[in-house]
Amino acid sequence: MRAVLSIAAVALRRMLRDRSNLFFVFILPLLLVLLIGMQFGGSFEPHLALHVEEGAGALADDLVAAVEEADVFVIDRADDAAGVVDRVGRGAAAAGLTIPAGYDAALRDGGTVEVGLIVSPSATDQGVASTVRAAVGQQAATVRAARTVADASGVSFDEALARVEAVAAVVPGVAVETSRLGESAFSDFEGLGQFDLGASSQLLLFVFLTSLAGSATLIQARQWGVSRRMLSTPTSARQIVLGEALGRFAVALVQAAYIVVGTRVIFGVDWGDPVGAAAVIVVFCLVSAGAAMLIGATFSNDAQAGGVGIGVGLGLAALGGSMAPIEVFSDTMQRVAHLVTPHAWANDAFAELVRRGGGIGDIVVELAVLLVVAAVLVTTASWRLHRVLVRS
Amino acid sequence: MRAAVTISLKDLRERVRDRSALLFGIVVPLGLAFVFSSVFGGAFGVDLDLDYAVVDLDGGPVAAAFVDEVLPAVVAEGLGEVTTSDDVEYVRERVREGELTAAFVLPEGFSEAVTSGRGATIEVLGNVDASIGTQIAAAIASGFATEVAAVQLAVGATLGPDAADPEAIDRIATAVSEQAAPVAVGEVETRRRELDPVTYLSAGMAVFFLFFTVQFGVTSLLEERRVGTLQRLLAAPVGRWSVIGGKLLTSFVLGVVSMAVLVIASDVLIGAVWGDPLGVALLVVCGVVAATAIMALIASVARTSEQANVWQSIIAVVLGSLGGVFFPIASGGWLGRLTLLTPHQWFMRGLSAMAGGGGPVDALPAAGALLVFAAVGFGLAAVRMRGEGLR
Repeated sequence: MRAVLSIAAVALRRMLRDRSNLFFVFILPLLLVLLIGMQFGGSFEPHLALHVEEGAGALADDLVAAVEEADVFVIDRADDAAGVVDRVGRGAAAAGLTIPAGYDAALRDGGTVEVGLIVSPSATDQGVASTVRAAVGQQAATVRAARTVADASGVSFDEALARVEAVAAVVPGVAVETSRLGESAFSDFEGLGQFDLGASSQLLLFVFLTSLAGSATLIQARQWGVSRRMLSTPTSARQIVLGEALGRFAVALVQAAYIVVGTRVIFGVDWGDPVGAAAVIVVFCLVSAGAAMLIGATFSNDAQAGGVGIGVGLGLAALGGSMAPIEVFSDTMQRVAHLVTPHAWANDAFAELVRRGGGIGDIVVELAVLLVVAAVLVTTASWRLHRVLVRS
Repeated sequence: MRAAVTISLKDLRERVRDRSALLFGIVVPLGLAFVFSSVFGGAFGVDLDLDYAVVDLDGGPVAAAFVDEVLPAVVAEGLGEVTTSDDVEYVRERVREGELTAAFVLPEGFSEAVTSGRGATIEVLGNVDASIGTQIAAAIASGFATEVAAVQLAVGATLGPDAADPEAIDRIATAVSEQAAPVAVGEVETRRRELDPVTYLSAGMAVFFLFFTVQFGVTSLLEERRVGTLQRLLAAPVGRWSVIGGKLLTSFVLGVVSMAVLVIASDVLIGAVWGDPLGVALLVVCGVVAATAIMALIASVARTSEQANVWQSIIAVVLGSLGGVFFPIASGGWLGRLTLLTPHQWFMRGLSAMAGGGGPVDALPAAGALLVFAAVGFGLAAVRMRGEGLR
């Protein structure tokens, strides 16, 4: 037993003493949680680029006020029409509006005037464009009413407009009431802390990735003859395998604990029910340890193992919903994610714990699946490692 | 010159035999780009096939105008389908289930309320996850409401609030509708200078791993010093700069070849659209030179190849993350300014500038920025090399 523990302790000490790990294990995860939280954690408000030419007049100001009142987007004023086009082209604004000089004068004179609406072909920006069109339509309707009144009653346009505006204050008009029905796949994302989503998904990504990257040490031990020397002592191959497994698990657990504590302290991340969260983390560390051992037992070139480890680590993380939430995947991809990656199940468990406030009883299925995966990986890896050791 | 090429060829042969360059340079980035594009490529797509329904509980003339004139125009525009129904609960259920994008409900007494100047409401029921379709439905209803309001305003302002004479009302309604639209909306569709998700991810992965690929050439200098072959090289009638040149050439060739393979493979296999070939070639060459320069600078500062590798990896990951290869970095704030200090961001910007049909001229500013990175990197590295010597 002591041999097993000391082998595990060596693995842990090597990981902590390696100075390059200072960045990849400790700094990078928090850096990414910070970046993700800053980019995606806040709420999204589309932008409208606006340019009103000098001398556009009072009615132009009314139009702008109507657009602002819709309170649907943030308005960025540009210095000229080219600036508006540039912003929409770059994607900094969802749509752009330009109001020419003489807008007010033309309308009061009974003429027509054209405003410029710059739209992008992207479907998601159509909402902003249609809000602008609605605001323009409303002002146009007011002007038409005023012109009709002026013709029918023989008063000046300005007088007619005043009368129309007075009526508008009194007549309720036709309201459009929109209600949303149904259960959203995204409903429980509201109320999530800014950094919560990034923290849990990055935890899984880094624990798995760090474990896989650390598998190189297993290979180096064989390359440098350390394993051979260990076998020449009264330590059985089985004890060595157990020690390595425990070592991989300890490394993964330290990485996980660091991220949980670090994000809680620095970003105030909520990890949900502590018992449930601890269970998910322990089981996922077992899975990562198993995967690392399997790579360590299978490859004999540590540079190759490193490359494969990074590729597999990042790939499974992406597939498993640790880069974009699984909820945005298509149905097929969601099925693939659950079939191929442990991350998908662990992310589901965290979604239950953090977003829906569940407890350990609600994640039994996810835990069971992860345990089975861990058991398969660790057993297979141990068997392989045992064979490789004994043969060498 | 020939010595540099010979040295480079030897290094390249070693790399290819080792397969590690192949792994980092091509297999891993391509694999990741493929995974990412399957995950993200279709995920954010928006289906704009709209299924609307309308329930007219009123039957009056104003409601009929909406059902018989406004909605058919929507269908004629090709925006989607509209079905009529009598059963509000059934329609409500279908919207809730997501079978309908949205539905319009015109309540009983709608027309009566409108013509007598009282308030009236059109209800729009939208499926919670079909936000764009619901927005469009709300816009259609609003447009109609605006028309109706125009008539109400004109009637109210001319005939007074208690107007009841149907003939007079009719006359005014006609007059309003005959008024020419005073404000025209001139719509201009811009060329979106943005990369689509698949191309963005492919380009991001390619430029990220580029910084790992070029490490092999510049770091081998330190490795050769450790192994002892460097001294033997310098003992030969080969200039010091030929040796360095050979190493840099290795990095350059590895970088360009791997990028070229990634560009072509991502285009053919996962449908990435990189843009004008000349512009892409320009950006790739400038990008490879910039990456080589930065990695060379780090190698010139490090003492051992292992130290160099660690620092190069750290810098590559930090610059890549800040440069937006994993997810786009918005242009505002201090983060938006920080991202401009990374060559990765400029590479992506160069590609974006050409997106949607631009030419190589659009990529020139980004290419220039990349060359600035290269000049700074090589300049500082040269100073280090001259000072330290290649002992």
